[in-house]
Amino acid sequence: MGQSYVWHFNVVWEYRQVFVRGAGITAQLTAGSLLIGLVLGLLLGLMRSSRSGAMRVPAAVYVEAFRATPVLVQLVWLYYALPILTGFQMGPILSVSVGLGLHTAAYFAEIFRAGIASIDRGQWDAAKSIGMGYGQMMRRIILPQAVRRMIPPFINEIATLMKLTTLGSVLAVYELLHEAQNLINNTYRPLEIYTTLAVAFFVIIYPIIWLSQRLERYLKARS
Amino acid sequence: MIRISGLHKHFGKNHVLRGIDVEIAKGEVFVIVGPSGSGKSTLLRCINFLEEHDAGEIAIDGEPMGWRLAPGGKRVRDKESNVSRLRSQVAMVFQQFNLFPHKTVLENVVEGPIVVKREPPGEAAERAAALLDRVGLSDKVDAYPSTLSGGQQQRAAIARALAMQPKAILFDEPTSALDPELVGEVLAVMKGLAHKGLTMVIVTHEMQFARDVGDRVMMMDAGQVVELAPAKSFFAAPRNPRTVDFLRRLQLRESSDAA
Ligand SMILES: Nc1ncnc2c1ncn2[C@@H]1O[C@H](COP(=O)(O)OP(=O)(O)OP(=O)(O)O)[C@@H](O)[C@H]1O
Ligand SMILES: [Mg+2]
Repeated sequence: MGQSYVWHFNVVWEYRQVFVRGAGITAQLTAGSLLIGLVLGLLLGLMRSSRSGAMRVPAAVYVEAFRATPVLVQLVWLYYALPILTGFQMGPILSVSVGLGLHTAAYFAEIFRAGIASIDRGQWDAAKSIGMGYGQMMRRIILPQAVRRMIPPFINEIATLMKLTTLGSVLAVYELLHEAQNLINNTYRPLEIYTTLAVAFFVIIYPIIWLSQRLERYLKARS
Repeated sequence: MIRISGLHKHFGKNHVLRGIDVEIAKGEVFVIVGPSGSGKSTLLRCINFLEEHDAGEIAIDGEPMGWRLAPGGKRVRDKESNVSRLRSQVAMVFQQFNLFPHKTVLENVVEGPIVVKREPPGEAAERAAALLDRVGLSDKVDAYPSTLSGGQQQRAAIARALAMQPKAILFDEPTSALDPELVGEVLAVMKGLAHKGLTMVIVTHEMQFARDVGDRVMMMDAGQVVELAPAKSFFAAPRNPRTVDFLRRLQLRESSDAA
């Protein structure tokens, strides 16, 4: 059929509103899970950097558990299994945001941990020797230096997160992929619509990855 | 002022400090020498509780550092806030300077006074500027550490230590990481501090400096004190054979360096 297929991209244009709406939900999912992932990831990363096993071990278990199970299973579990166990049902958008947030937190935790571990021991010594407490030392000396080195892997993780939001379609969240599938059911134009979808994601995500690579090279050159 | 008694420290099975007893007086310039691996750095780091000692006590003006005795006689970790407060009274200057690279020289110096001692920023900056002038860095106030020479960085680090108005400053081989031509400027600053009556504990291989500026010199070997004497007699008439041997080897190295 390849050579005989006639593309009809005007269908996509006609239904552009649907794409815009889907992109809005995708952005919302990304922002929500990013917020959860950053906050929880920082906490877990600090716990994993701690000297006390009572802090380190639970954080390590969390990180390994979330890295060793598929995201899709985590989302489905949160949406279908959790309500049965607890009687607490979140809406689909909240479920996906929380699920992806919990998932990405495991990866942010690793970025924070590695960033903190990359700071020279002398910096900790100097901060302690002028009498800084743990919080002051982290906020004013360690994290400001660590965060600079974490920016490139950070941006990569955001790009990954954005791609993972398409899993929301499984829970009937009207993000981009789900909107596209609905549209196909109405228009019977899967090629145009899936192609547009792929291009749309590329156009959003590639600049992010490009930026992270540029930054990485820039930061390397400076240090 | 700094009283160390029965101090022991292990790193795993490695018994690094084997019962140190010494008291450093207010205003004293106390020099520590000894071969590599003898535990000099570990001793200094214990005084500031950057390493936690296993037995014995370190007291700063009578206040025990790091550990307290609980009612049952058990040793318990002191509250973090107490440890920090005591640390802020004993400043430290490191071999590798350890300036904060994301802050300017002035910001490095005012950091402790503003954040730890909660001084008003204006006053702290004024004092910091005066200190930087004293160590000869008034033209580098707004420079970042990476743009400074080693000698300038170490002088900035000394200003950072002074800004805490500490009871004592611990120096761990402050000139060992410097190019030979930059050693003098740092030693000159330290000599000035000694003459002003600052309490200083200095680990160094600069024997000339130890002789000229030190009040007492302590020789360590394998985690123990093998000799402790006034600077003059330490160098003129060392009594322990290991001190004699150590000084002779240093002299040999210096004369071969000079050749
Ligand atoms: N953080 C550490 N972990 C394990 N072992 C250590 C640590 N720091 C020091 N040591 C060991 O403790 C011993 C004493 O080291 P220390 O650094 O105190 O010696 P030093 O007298 O300062 O030597 P140098 O003149 O080389 O600086 C050495 O055997 C060293 O390997
Ligand atoms: Mg040392």
